[in-house]
Amino acid sequence: MMYLYSLLAAVLLIVAIFITPVKHKVWVATGIIAAAAMAAFGIALTVFSRGTEMTIAEFSTPIFGAEHFSVDMLSSLFLVIISIASLATVLYSRGYVAGYLKTLSPAHISLHYTALVLLVVSMMLVVTSSGGFSFLFTWELMTIASFILILFEAKRQDVRRAALNYLVMMHIGFMFLVVGFVLLSNVTGSANFEAIEQYFKIANPLPLFVILFIGFGMKAGVFPMHIWLPEAHPAAPSHVSAIMSGVMIKTGVYGIIRLLQSIDHNTELLYTIGLIVLLSGIVTGLWGVILAAMQNDIKRLLAYSSIENVGVILIGLGIAAVGHAAGSSLIGMCGICGALLHTVNHSLFKTLLFFSAGNIYSKLHTTAMNQMGGIAKHMPVTAILMLLGTVAICALPPLNGFISEVLIYIGMFNGVSDGHEVLYSVAGIFSLSLIGGIVVLAFTKLYGVVFLGSPRSTHVAESSEVDNLRIGAMAIPAVLILFIGLFPQFAIHPISLVAEAITGADNYIALEHFIPTLQTISAICWVLLAVVILLYLLKRHLQGKSKVTEGPTWGCGFTAVNTKMQYTGESFAEGLESIGKPLMKDTVDGRAVDKGEIFPSPHQYNIRHKDKVDSLLGQWWVQMMHRINKFVMRLRTGRVNNYVTFALVFLVAVLILTLVGIL
Amino acid sequence: MLVKLLNTLLMIVVALSITGVINRTRAVLAGRRGIRFFQHIYNARLLLRKGSVYSTTTTALFRIAPTVYLGAAIVAFLFIPVADLEPLLSFHGDIIFVAYLLALARVAIILAAMDTGSSFEGMGAAREALYGALVEPALMMAMATLALFCGYSSFADIFSTAQELNMNLTIVLLLVAYVFIIIMFIEAGRVPVDDPKTHLELTMIHEVMCLDYSGVDMAFIHIAGWLKNAIFATIAANAVAVAFSFHWWFAVPLAILGAGLSVGIVESLRARNKLSRNVTYILTIVAMSALVLLTGFLLIQNIEI
Repeated sequence: MMYLYSLLAAVLLIVAIFITPVKHKVWVATGIIAAAAMAAFGIALTVFSRGTEMTIAEFSTPIFGAEHFSVDMLSSLFLVIISIASLATVLYSRGYVAGYLKTLSPAHISLHYTALVLLVVSMMLVVTSSGGFSFLFTWELMTIASFILILFEAKRQDVRRAALNYLVMMHIGFMFLVVGFVLLSNVTGSANFEAIEQYFKIANPLPLFVILFIGFGMKAGVFPMHIWLPEAHPAAPSHVSAIMSGVMIKTGVYGIIRLLQSIDHNTELLYTIGLIVLLSGIVTGLWGVILAAMQNDIKRLLAYSSIENVGVILIGLGIAAVGHAAGSSLIGMCGICGALLHTVNHSLFKTLLFFSAGNIYSKLHTTAMNQMGGIAKHMPVTAILMLLGTVAICALPPLNGFISEVLIYIGMFNGVSDGHEVLYSVAGIFSLSLIGGIVVLAFTKLYGVVFLGSPRSTHVAESSEVDNLRIGAMAIPAVLILFIGLFPQFAIHPISLVAEAITGADNYIALEHFIPTLQTISAICWVLLAVVILLYLLKRHLQGKSKVTEGPTWGCGFTAVNTKMQYTGESFAEGLESIGKPLMKDTVDGRAVDKGEIFPSPHQYNIRHKDKVDSLLGQWWVQMMHRINKFVMRLRTGRVNNYVTFALVFLVAVLILTLVGIL
Repeated sequence: MLVKLLNTLLMIVVALSITGVINRTRAVLAGRRGIRFFQHIYNARLLLRKGSVYSTTTTALFRIAPTVYLGAAIVAFLFIPVADLEPLLSFHGDIIFVAYLLALARVAIILAAMDTGSSFEGMGAAREALYGALVEPALMMAMATLALFCGYSSFADIFSTAQELNMNLTIVLLLVAYVFIIIMFIEAGRVPVDDPKTHLELTMIHEVMCLDYSGVDMAFIHIAGWLKNAIFATIAANAVAVAFSFHWWFAVPLAILGAGLSVGIVESLRARNKLSRNVTYILTIVAMSALVLLTGFLLIQNIEI
């Protein structure tokens, strides 16, 4: 009976979205999402304060038997992440969608908001489901809802293409999950996550792990299953990219954590699986960041950076598993706390960055970096917020990205200094520092080319700051970024409780080691701020006595400076190209200016660095299909007598096979 | 507390002297008498009194960046001990904090360079970002080697452990010191990676990023440069001091002379790399520091077994 009521309520809410006037649809959606977020928040807080699991609904499914929606520590952390990000997203969406109200039909807008609500609710259900049928069902609901959301600008051919690509990739992943859960249910009689532990004890664990890891990794964007991300994000509207990149891909991470949680007692297995996770994290992170630095489209860059951040999270999880298996609970605790906190942090700064990209897109109608420049003067608030996101994602003190990366680093450095798993720790440190360095390159390029310097096209001059509601929506993640960065000792407390629940270890180690360290880091971050402010005051004081004037940028003696001469995104990353070349396939439209041309004529030149995995995975089978098609097409002659011959050959073949006894 | 103050004071001495030693070495090797030893300090004082010209293209970020650059360098500077003395600031994992503070300084100056809209400064910014990205693993590997040997992850603990070290480990520590000196070359924009004295902006890296700065801002950037030099020079000297169980009175002159002489001599004797070779050069250092770490790891394993 309860399900009937909830179904009825869902239908009513959807109808409510459809019947309200087009301008107010957003508020209905906001109301629903806010209510869901409040409920989720309340449940999460209750679970945190009580420290026990809370079951919301129990039911029986036809295929996999008894299942339930229940909230434990891990679920409640993800519920909090989803609530915050979706609230910010729906608030942001009003301003973004407002630009489309005249061109799109009311039904289209209604569908968009229905899908948004559906996505939020399905994500909440995914992280509370016990596994099996309800998990697969809500997972699929999530995919379809996000598919509809990507299709917002369905008139653009590239959008339709990206959405279809996304749908296909997600279903490949879904198939893996189905196979995994069926396998699980066949062996243990239950398809719930708790059954995985039992499965790992009685059957060969690695095949199931790999199958489920691929299924979850497809959503999370783990290499080489990441190729849908850089296609889907530029196509989707910005608030959708924000929620997909900030939160939805984290449901994949959630699944991977659930898997790791199930192998607590088998040290050898934990070690092997930890290594797999660590290695895939390293490859994902490095691949993502190098390609991010090469992109010239804001949203594509952000999408690749999401891949890189999933890599960082996996490095944390992997090092935690390896450390745990090697008997060092400190490494385990550092790794897992770092990974969880990075999951939270990434959901904050990535939504902020995608919102900023959305502000730019809604004013300039392009995401091509090389047509921008100097936007900071026209959109100052966006520029400040984006700077905050940039510094946070570069993992620099005093913001939150630094806190989570420093936890992972501390874990790995402890591994090195205590002699636990030195080689893997070193591999982790090496790749994390390289990732950190290239992230700085990628995001200084993004920020420098887009917001600083002089405008590279005339569109920039027409841009202006966006409405206050959008700024308000961006302030939500911004404030949290500042809070976690400046008061990490408070933020780590719930995280360490979750980590404790996952590993089953006592968290006194965490409290003993992290909290004092994080308190010190927090204090020193304040010192840093104080020093910078004092220096600024000192500078103002010193400049007060002398003459301060303004003039043009110094052109090194050259006076006919043209804004097109500025460094572009392409030239900024030129040095990295030699390193990133093996990972990419360049596609060039037009022709570059020849070196011999003394008086060059106008040229069109457009280069795109495509992912090599894209061509490897996406194209070889297409080519093969083409080849098979070509062969089959030879049989299609168009003459009736030929077709009659084929029919005859077929019948004779059937006859012979029957006589021989094969059929 | 007194020890901490002494440490900071010594670090300031190191920071102020290195540039003097570099200038004097270059002068002597070129057969000149050279400028006064502390001339660079007088120059900075002069800059502090001068007015500034700001480009109209720039935003507020351009004016804040030098203070962030210097502020981050100052805070990082306070973490560095001189041999076994105690630094002003220290906590477990501060080696990571220092590395990221330097990255923060780099981001500030890169963004400021992009803010001017000048193609020259963009060029410098792009190169600095690339070299900074590549040198990061080398720095971390060298620090991990120290952590591996001394069993700690804070500078103060690492260098205050007086250990009976095996001869093999001494050699590894000397190599670590070498890596830190090379990192200093790269971070400070010195030959063979960059030449601060070149007359062609096209080939400069670090200096070209500050083309539009003048007056107080320029002085801040210079001072931050001294501090950064001192950080790497002192860590290198500390590694040597640990290797031979020396104390601070040895580490201070070693830091000044080691860094100053090596920069001065290299700058007098060899030319700058071709720019396209710089990536290879830095990656070689990265590979070397990883190799030093692995060698150290193998040696430690042998000793314990």
